[in-house]
Amino acid sequence: MTPQSLLQLTSQKCTTGCPILDRLLYGGIPCDSITEIVAESGSGKTQICLQLSLHAQLPVSHGGLAASSLYLHTEFPFPFRRLHQLCLSFRSSNAHHFPVNDNPCDRIFVQSVHTADHLLEIMSKTDPFIENSKNQVPVRLIVIDSIAALFRSDFDNTPVELKRRSSLFFEISSKLKALAKRFNLAVLVTNQVVDLVGPNEGINGLRIGNLVCLHTSGRRVCPALGLAWANCVNSRLFLSRNEEVIREENEKSNGQSCDFVKKKMRKLYVVFAPHLPESSCEFEITREGVFGVER
Amino acid sequence: MEIWRLPISASQRGKLISAGYTSLSSLSSISSSSDLARELKVSESEAMNILKVASHSRGSETSNASCSIVEGIYRFSSIIEFSCRQASLYLVKFNLSRAQSAWDMLHDEESLMHITTSSADLDNILGGGIHCKEVTEIGWSSLSLIVNSVLKYKLTTAFGSESIIFMLIGGVPGIGKTQLGIQIAVNVQIPNDFGGLGGKAVYIDTEGSFMVERAFQIAEACIEDMSEYNRFLRKDFQECKIKMLPQDILENIFYFRICSYTEQIALINYLDKFLSEHKDVKVIVVDSVTFHFRQDFDDMALRTRVLSGMALKLMNLAKRFSLAVVLLNQVTTKHTEASFQLALALGDSWSHTCTNRIVLYWNGNERYAYIDKSPSLRSASAAYSVTARGIRNSSSSCKRIKMM
Repeated sequence: MTPQSLLQLTSQKCTTGCPILDRLLYGGIPCDSITEIVAESGSGKTQICLQLSLHAQLPVSHGGLAASSLYLHTEFPFPFRRLHQLCLSFRSSNAHHFPVNDNPCDRIFVQSVHTADHLLEIMSKTDPFIENSKNQVPVRLIVIDSIAALFRSDFDNTPVELKRRSSLFFEISSKLKALAKRFNLAVLVTNQVVDLVGPNEGINGLRIGNLVCLHTSGRRVCPALGLAWANCVNSRLFLSRNEEVIREENEKSNGQSCDFVKKKMRKLYVVFAPHLPESSCEFEITREGVFGVER
Repeated sequence: MEIWRLPISASQRGKLISAGYTSLSSLSSISSSSDLARELKVSESEAMNILKVASHSRGSETSNASCSIVEGIYRFSSIIEFSCRQASLYLVKFNLSRAQSAWDMLHDEESLMHITTSSADLDNILGGGIHCKEVTEIGWSSLSLIVNSVLKYKLTTAFGSESIIFMLIGGVPGIGKTQLGIQIAVNVQIPNDFGGLGGKAVYIDTEGSFMVERAFQIAEACIEDMSEYNRFLRKDFQECKIKMLPQDILENIFYFRICSYTEQIALINYLDKFLSEHKDVKVIVVDSVTFHFRQDFDDMALRTRVLSGMALKLMNLAKRFSLAVVLLNQVTTKHTEASFQLALALGDSWSHTCTNRIVLYWNGNERYAYIDKSPSLRSASAAYSVTARGIRNSSSSCKRIKMM
């Protein structure tokens, strides 16, 4: 056993495909580390995952990892059409990096996962899969979308079951971290939220992460899977979605008629991360993908 | 031997005792019988008799056979001698060449060097600010603006480097455990001229949360603060140039990335050899000691044994190489009487093994550190904050200092 030299140990990042988001995240999703995205449904978790797995294929000089990705999905169906849509815009904007007949979707390996044990089984197969894919573009990104879906139905709310559950969390996490370390992978995991009831902040008045409270759609929420899982990830990001009513004065129509337009306000927060300060950024989801908005 | 044992009359004995002669040795100071006769208001022949009996008894005492008590003492001392001999045999057996008295240990402790946490408040509750009057005074009087940057170099913490300090720091994710770990690994390298240790650090990363860019940032800020300290405090003295670069600081952190608990145990066994080759290592940070032990263990008794074995080994290393060991721990919810409470992970027996325990927690919007267990420090808490430059005093407590 010899210590690693920190000078040679550079933390590589995988670009999210948007310079504003990259700036917030100091370059993107870090390798050799687990990053978690927490959000309620419809906030854009999957969008970011899809976009990341496309942008991981960019050459290192352009912020990517020059690598293919492994996409494990637990929520069905897999959004092929959206991936295809994103792929088209990705190709048109990065055409010079790819040959004409090349389809970036070829370098996204999709695998469905049904239970936690299934996930462990797949991860043990991932090792040889990555090792043997030497002739192809190496896998440098693993996406699990979402981890919460695996755990939200199979376990009872009893101490014994909860203990079994958290033991599984640590097993999955340490396997992921070992993979991430061995192949210098970036790991992105999504997680759902649970509503927060009661006057206390957090579970039992316990606060996880740097944000006082996570608000989305006007509700107070906290990440699913509890404290044990929170110990398993290195960085946690949170996406909020709020509807804002904006009064838009319509000049064209005669008179003083006002239209009330509902506008979606999406924000990305850094809840905790070893290398990032507490910060946030507005973003929007368009046909071309997820992009940060500077105000 | 006491007076009452002398074979003299009861009235003579009473007179002797009331005159203040309680032991034979006090009688030996009397030179002549006439002095004693005058003092006790007895006839000179009586006094002569007392002295004669007393001197006789003294002689018999030294020959140590006449008196049962003396015999008892002798027997007792032989037991002591025997047990001493046995103890020294044990000492030889365990290769403890020298035992220390508590007095010596106190001396040693007073000469301890400390590693700062970079937050003066945090250092304060950790037993700092006592040995270094000079700097605290400067800090509190005129240069309150730089109080932060000055205090942090001289104020001391419980991370004494030369005694066995074994510290466990626990808190929820995002509270700043890793930040504190990196900060300590950087601060241990502050040169002696700046009140630091000038040592190196071993950083054992089990979670993969150590970010090189963050360590670089903290190292940079640390060097900047040192040069600031230079400007304010060393105006009259010879300039003490800082030749350190952030790269040097990173180079002196021996970083081990651990992916399983077997690796973790193996590494800690190996550290013995590593540290004897790198004597300038002054701190071992384990971030976190918990992670790999929270899976795969069905046999909890085995886990406890493995963990306490590891703790013993670390304790041993700390003693042998006179360094500080800082373990970071996670918190977990504990199920007691149908309610869930927050507790440090790995159970109760593990919490016995560390000498100091610090719990980090949120209080409103501020981070707090609380001394949960310590043999030498009183329970106290202090606010701190995690800034771009590393661990610092909480901003609100800075304001308080400025107002004063």
